Amino acid sequence: MFPNLTIPDFPLSFPMGGIDIAFYAVAIVMLVTAVFTVAVKNILQSAVALIFSFVATAILYLLLHAEFIALAQVMVYVGGVVIFVVFTILLTSHLGEDAFSTKIPRLFAAFALSIAFVFVMIKCILPVESLSSGVVSAPEGYSGLEQFSLRLLGYGPDGFIIPFEVVSVLLLMTLICAITIARKTKDEVEKEKAVK
Amino acid sequence: MERKVCAHIQCRLGPMRLGWHGTIQTVADVIKMLFKEVYAPSGADKLMFYLAPLIVLIAPFIVCALIPFGRNLVVADVSMGIPLIIAVNGFGVLGILLGGWSSNNKYSLLGALRSGAQMISYEISFTMILLFVVMISGSTNLMSITLGQEGTILDWWIFKIPVLGIVAFILFFISSTAEMNRAPFDIAEAEQELTGGYHTEYNGTPFAMFYLAEYIALVTNSALATTCFLGGFLPPCIGVAFVDNYLNMVPGVVWFFAKVYFMIWCYMMVRWTFVRPRVDQLMDFEWKFLLPVNLVLLATGAAYIVIWG
Repeated sequence: MFPNLTIPDFPLSFPMGGIDIAFYAVAIVMLVTAVFTVAVKNILQSAVALIFSFVATAILYLLLHAEFIALAQVMVYVGGVVIFVVFTILLTSHLGEDAFSTKIPRLFAAFALSIAFVFVMIKCILPVESLSSGVVSAPEGYSGLEQFSLRLLGYGPDGFIIPFEVVSVLLLMTLICAITIARKTKDEVEKEKAVK
Repeated sequence: MERKVCAHIQCRLGPMRLGWHGTIQTVADVIKMLFKEVYAPSGADKLMFYLAPLIVLIAPFIVCALIPFGRNLVVADVSMGIPLIIAVNGFGVLGILLGGWSSNNKYSLLGALRSGAQMISYEISFTMILLFVVMISGSTNLMSITLGQEGTILDWWIFKIPVLGIVAFILFFISSTAEMNRAPFDIAEAEQELTGGYHTEYNGTPFAMFYLAEYIALVTNSALATTCFLGGFLPPCIGVAFVDNYLNMVPGVVWFFAKVYFMIWCYMMVRWTFVRPRVDQLMDFEWKFLLPVNLVLLATGAAYIVIWG
């Protein structure tokens, strides 16, 4: 069917240590909660499932010795994004109503897209040599907070100061935008005064 | 203890019958709670309803594990203590929101929304003050933050940096009070307006869990204030060798808990002393006063470190 695709030997080895078992267990939890997020009818329940999926991702990061990314994941996604999602759901949604149903063509398109994605991933990732024989963990302290921030603010060859500052400008822009939207115009202020 | 302090301020006796001056009243209350029947109101989302108290308990317990109670007494001595504390604090908001919504009660929902908005806003200034502490101590590990204050009482972070330390401590006190939903910032469960806030519909063990989370949060926040500003488990040495020798003989745990109880007592005094602000006043206070002050504090702290540090 696909003449070009030579399926490589299945490169995943299973050294069953405690960490590996934990990794796969957490990964399974993550996948199950992710499926729940999409499949559950109640929108708030799906938000909660999303949270557990994010937490599981954070635990995966922890197992890979990327502590800071794990904490940032919990801080930004669980503490920030999902809380705001829950907030907007509570404030706006019609929770009593029936869940919207997806139409068949859309379902089919989504299915085809995900199959295509899996196909591309397998085709591109499996042949990469260094992935199957690379170093498993980074050197000690490589992803620690100090190293991390030093590299983030460094302006040497390893530094990331320019992207960092660009991102901060982006954040500043969003802040200003939020204020402009929330700000009362002169008309509104006068109306309020008139009411009083 | 809360009820005793409350009664004391209001010139009452408080619970007196159980044990000496009512010392085992708490135990009796807990037993009563545990024996109550657990049921959910009709129309409530059962899964969420029972999940919410569990989520609320996550944050205080994790923070509890990070606090160094003594020189070798710490459950998890992780290098990223402060970011972890900030990260897990988000779970508290989540639990309250879920609990309020799943009760299927408009008072609960209102209370949950208020409290969620309040906790999200005050989390910012809470985080910024912790950032200030991290900045002056140069570490995110709670153990090394404590050990950085070794020496006399003037080496504690609250006094080591003139004026700024005290300002930071007061700001921390305010924002942690709001973060815990305690009075005077308890608009979330204002009895006169909302019956009981987000846990109106809870009873028995789930209610006990909400209650427990609140009080453990009180203890952990006091412990955090002690660790970050009041020298943790270090004795309050005054620089005179004779006195210091005696002070050093007392184990660190005793000092730690003495300071923690002092902080808890402060929180309780504040609770029963001040009046509750309105919701909009509360939000104005955070966004228009605390946040700018915090930013200024951070900037001056950085300047201090660069110039004299």
